[in-house]
Amino acid sequence: MHTLKLRSFLILSACSLVLFAAVTLLSARLPVPISQQAAAGKRVWQKHNCVSCHTLFGNGGYVGEDLTNIVAKVNPPQLVQYLIQPPVMRPNRYRHHPALKRTEAENVVSYLEYVHTIPTLGWPPQPQKAGDEP
Amino acid sequence: MKLFRAFSSQASGRHRVLARPPQRVFLVQMISRRYCLAAVTLFAVQSMVALAGALDLVIPDLPSPIPFEFGRAIHLGFAVLWPLIGTMGMVYYFTAAELNREVFSPRLARWQFGIVLTFALSVYLSLSLRIGNGREYLEGMPLLYLGIGLALLLAAYNLVRTLWADKHHITPAAAIMTVGVLFLLILLLPNALHYNNPTLDEAAKFWVVHLWEEMAFELTTAGFIATFFIVSGLAVREQVEKWLYLEAGLAVSGGLYSTGHHYFWIGVPSLWLLLGTLISLLEVVPVAMLVQMTYVGFKSSKLSSKTGIKSKREKLTLWLILSSLIYHVLGASVLGLMITIPWVNLYVHGTYTTSAHAHLALFGSMGFLVLAACYYILSWGSEPTAKGYKAGVLAVLLLNIGLIGMGTALLVAGFVQTYLWRILGQDFMQVRFHLTPYLLARVLAGGVFALGDFLLIWQIYTAWWRTRKQNSPSSGH
Repeated sequence: MHTLKLRSFLILSACSLVLFAAVTLLSARLPVPISQQAAAGKRVWQKHNCVSCHTLFGNGGYVGEDLTNIVAKVNPPQLVQYLIQPPVMRPNRYRHHPALKRTEAENVVSYLEYVHTIPTLGWPPQPQKAGDEP
Repeated sequence: MKLFRAFSSQASGRHRVLARPPQRVFLVQMISRRYCLAAVTLFAVQSMVALAGALDLVIPDLPSPIPFEFGRAIHLGFAVLWPLIGTMGMVYYFTAAELNREVFSPRLARWQFGIVLTFALSVYLSLSLRIGNGREYLEGMPLLYLGIGLALLLAAYNLVRTLWADKHHITPAAAIMTVGVLFLLILLLPNALHYNNPTLDEAAKFWVVHLWEEMAFELTTAGFIATFFIVSGLAVREQVEKWLYLEAGLAVSGGLYSTGHHYFWIGVPSLWLLLGTLISLLEVVPVAMLVQMTYVGFKSSKLSSKTGIKSKREKLTLWLILSSLIYHVLGASVLGLMITIPWVNLYVHGTYTTSAHAHLALFGSMGFLVLAACYYILSWGSEPTAKGYKAGVLAVLLLNIGLIGMGTALLVAGFVQTYLWRILGQDFMQVRFHLTPYLLARVLAGGVFALGDFLLIWQIYTAWWRTRKQNSPSSGH
């Protein structure tokens, strides 16, 4: 009886895993392929551990703002400038945002532009404005 | 199986408590103590790293040799790797106890320990030197995760060969612990690769962040609890084993597809909203079964006090197991389900609410169980003194108070953040200043947690030191 139960458990586990992996791979295909510059930007993002302070798709740290749609709020040249000559991070008085080289900054911003094109099913939600229909 | 027969012949009444069979000590069980000692040591360091990081968030310009972005990475690295190392020791120890025989190769277990410790320490060292790969919870360089994968491969091979050596007498607990280790390996390997596609990268990350926690570790800890009750003589084998494969099957299928609740907003089709929500409901079933299994053990152990089993060591282990179950129910299941509802998740995702859930579910559910196993293993052959037992209980209470305090502070911070930032649309940084009191409360609760951590680790070290000679591989067992 135990052997039968064990076999059933193993078959169920193996089938579930294979199906799950296949559905995940199919689901993760994106409408627009990533450019070389954006891919290089992703490596810069990872190298500097940006995810410790910022979120992408809401995943990451909460010290800084979510950057999934940052390019819709701040234009890319301004972002590049921010990263090359970073300001002091509030509420600190001396500590600056980590600085990047120009190429690195341009690549990261290209990556953030790419992330902005990924459809996220309506996340993040748009805040309510006074006078909006309920 | 001798153990099984011994139990079966004596099992006649409901929840009847059995006389304990004499327990043999196997070489791998002595080796497993090294894993547990390393795990609890890393857990002690974890408290200090976490406290430093929490302080950094509330004290501007706090000087630190390691910048926050790498300090947090070390904290998250510890959160994943100390339970892994403890789990390896736990699985070896309880597989030998469950099967009542030696594992296939104790030497392999010894090598595996050296490998996993080397690569885990390399993750921390490289992050301290600001060398990392920037994937949350997996911030170490991919090569180092390959090394940890190698250790898991050795563990999986060793355990499969152990079961295979007497394949007609495989017990459910030993089987699900082995499958748990196999899953740890399979789910880690895709994370040693680099992905250009950010959606696929996020999805693969959750194969460790979610699936290790809510599936693979669920299997290993269910096997541990079952074996603990059985080999300690606290409960009848049939009662504990009755639904173990069903529980494991639900943990696997439920765990896999409920990963969908982490996929909601990462760029996958809306199918995952439905799949992630519905299957997350299914995840509650194995938790309920785990609670039921523990209840059976508790009921039996309560009865046992009348018949002579009054081991303070086992009682302290039970305190830790019970703590875990509280967070299984409240932190992982209730809070987890509440924030999984898509129209709730839409607003709370990406706020401190997630952080509250992570603390309660990650340490609360799984950390306590790994600590329970480590304490049990490292204190084998000794009993705590009355004072030591009281100190152990106090440590467990402090850990609970600290964890609930941290969870509550982060939860309130998350709700405030959701309301002001997500709903009212206030500026992110402006909202962040409003969160300072809650983050300060988190530091205080973290301090209480760290106190409990150090007190418990002290008790564990004391027990280990007292028993180190009789449990040393050269002691002639």
